[in-house]
Amino acid sequence: MTRPRLTFARASLYGFLALAVASWVYILAGADSGLEDLFSGRAWSNAASFLRQLLGLDAGLSGGGRPAFLDLGRWAETGKLAYKTLLMSVLAISFAGLGVLVTFLPAARNVSNGELGGRPSVGLGVLYHVLRLVFAFTRAVPELVWAMVIVFFLSPGVLPGAIALGLHNYGIVGKLSAEVVENMDPGPARALRSAGAGNLQMLAYGIIPQAMPQFLTYLLYRWEVVIRTTVVVGFVSAGGLGREFRLNLSFFQYTDVALIILWYLILVVAVDLLSALLRRMVRTG
Amino acid sequence: MIWIGTPKASGLARVLETRRLLTLVLAGALVWSLAGAGWGGGIVHTGGGNSLKGFLLALFPPEVSPGFLNLAFAASWQTIVHAVAGITLAIVVGLPLGVIASGSLGNPGRSRLAIAAGVRLLLAFMRSIHELVWAVLFVAAFGLSSLTVVLAIAIPYAGILGRIYSELLNDVPERPLDGLRSSGASPVRVLLYGRMPMALTDMLSYSFYRFECAIRAAAIMSFVGIRGLGFEIQLSLNDLRFDEVWTLLLFLFALVLLVDYGSAKVRRSLGS
Amino acid sequence: MILTKNIVDGRGLGKSFGALIALAPLDLAIAPGERVALAGPSGSGKTTLLYILAGLLPPDRGELFLDSQPVARLQPGRALSEAVGLVQQQLGLVPQLPVVQNVLAGRLGQWGLLRSLTSLFSARERDTALKALSRLGIADKINERTSQLSGGEQQRVAIARLMVQAPKIVLADEPVSSLDPARAEEILKLLTGLTDETGGAMVASLHAPDLIREHFSRVIGLRQGVLQFDIPARELTPPVLDALYDLDRNS
Repeated sequence: MTRPRLTFARASLYGFLALAVASWVYILAGADSGLEDLFSGRAWSNAASFLRQLLGLDAGLSGGGRPAFLDLGRWAETGKLAYKTLLMSVLAISFAGLGVLVTFLPAARNVSNGELGGRPSVGLGVLYHVLRLVFAFTRAVPELVWAMVIVFFLSPGVLPGAIALGLHNYGIVGKLSAEVVENMDPGPARALRSAGAGNLQMLAYGIIPQAMPQFLTYLLYRWEVVIRTTVVVGFVSAGGLGREFRLNLSFFQYTDVALIILWYLILVVAVDLLSALLRRMVRTG
Repeated sequence: MIWIGTPKASGLARVLETRRLLTLVLAGALVWSLAGAGWGGGIVHTGGGNSLKGFLLALFPPEVSPGFLNLAFAASWQTIVHAVAGITLAIVVGLPLGVIASGSLGNPGRSRLAIAAGVRLLLAFMRSIHELVWAVLFVAAFGLSSLTVVLAIAIPYAGILGRIYSELLNDVPERPLDGLRSSGASPVRVLLYGRMPMALTDMLSYSFYRFECAIRAAAIMSFVGIRGLGFEIQLSLNDLRFDEVWTLLLFLFALVLLVDYGSAKVRRSLGS
Repeated sequence: MILTKNIVDGRGLGKSFGALIALAPLDLAIAPGERVALAGPSGSGKTTLLYILAGLLPPDRGELFLDSQPVARLQPGRALSEAVGLVQQQLGLVPQLPVVQNVLAGRLGQWGLLRSLTSLFSARERDTALKALSRLGIADKINERTSQLSGGEQQRVAIARLMVQAPKIVLADEPVSSLDPARAEEILKLLTGLTDETGGAMVASLHAPDLIREHFSRVIGLRQGVLQFDIPARELTPPVLDALYDLDRNS
């Protein structure tokens, strides 16, 4: 019987397993592991109490009165914040989308090195690498970290959060869109050249129309992710539901927290449905 | 050569409409969001412009003293450890759930489909809530600890992985599976010897991508107080040490690139 | 500067891709009004030659003059598109664009950037496109998304684009290979009609001998990149064609 070769895949699997074991050991053996809590009754009773307060069953602790999610007025107030959150999410992908539209073409290898018929230049080559680096970096930094940095320059509100989300998603959609261009069928571009098209005409007639459907699809998929993250970014940038969530939690207004979670779920479901609908329109239209 | 006059618009109108409608909706959404953004005096802090300049300049050079680099490495380790634990738990939970949700296990029948649908709903719920929101809730319930943070990452990630796994398992071509079935393989065998091997590369590829996301997730868990790159970034920001912030950002960048690169190599190694 | 009555004048045109010789150096002279068929098995260099004649592929060696001008001088854009136009085998249409835009793309060599861009939103010279599409019998499809059309209809859109471009030299890569005889007749009549109007020349690659004899004045045979024969179309007999397509038992 032959022994299996040690391929890179196999070696990295072993490596990853070793890392996984090491990580779990480190966590469970560490001081803050939480392992004892798992077995202590106190943590579970705390959690149970928390859940009861969320559901409004422990009237005393939540400050008396009705649970927030049974109060129509609270629904309306929180609804306004949900509206802001929705707006922030659309603004974020708008920023990301506009940024990509402006920069994705030179970020495609076959555009910048002239494969599609243009004239390659050193400048374009450098631009390609710079853009790819920008995509990678903006992608690597989590949205929340971007938001933490941005609130140093911009006053809290919807805008800094949208910019933070926009930056991160710009990197993601940018890379994907450039790859769409790189994988594109060169036939139509060549045909346009033979019809006499110059560089910009070829981009406008040949490349952008072919890339648009995929670009929009990626953008709409990211919207589904962004709406979930908008609340989180709001913790720091103070727009929409996020700040309210944080405040209510720190003041132990747990039924308000439950209400916010309900609105959050409504937003998530609504955006998922809208995104699916719009994506279908992109496919057929 | 008959000259045909202006064509009538029947089915064309439908196509045209979708396109026009789509353009209108997207343009409208853009305008609506830009209008509501809250521009106006005071969006920039006083001194915000200077802060921005200072921040950008601090990249050249970032803080590279040995003491700080040690700190950065330690913080990276914290982040990696939580990310790995989170993703492994997510896979362990997500894989069986994904298999059930794909409906390819068990005997064909209504109960199997109902269970699959139920599991799909569960997965959808798990992934509707962002990992940090789960974290904030868990910390309020259980208190802060590594396990709560790992759990907060694992739950939504298991939801995402489960859904993708079930889709990949279902996208597998049926023909080879029919071959297995006709030679008498039970549904479990068909799954193990047929579906999973064919879907494996894609499943692995997506899991790697999720691992990369888990690193980011672990980093932002600093918000609830767990140590790691995010925690140090927050500290350095508060001290206005932008050069340190850049070092930490570069460490995060390097971590993500490493996983990206490793995943590409593994995929190539498998493909060959 | 070589002055010649020929509309295509190529000397020693050759092209290799690495170690593969796609086209061994050949001379080609085409007079105005000539209709030249390119025959040969796949991989014989027909497509390579057509792309070189279209000015899309620079030859590794040799010189090419189109309409008495060196092909390099004709770049970019306008002059080249007036001299020569190519219908590719895969048609080269942009699937997402409406038919009218794909057809009007033939005018891109003449239009400036601004007109090209505004035309994308509201087609300029719509009538030109409509006329071409009417001649091809698909005027009713003018606003449809190109990907929604059948293969045969798309091919006619590609020819409409060529009509709108109206180049002196018409090139076509396998325009009728997947068509039934009646349709093939129709397409070839349209293509030859184009060249009659402009007084130019046509070069098309195809296999069917009776179509070659009927519509073309001259036929060039290629095999593995090497010129096998260059004869008047009526001299294309079955033995000649069989020898061209014969399987090479040694390879």
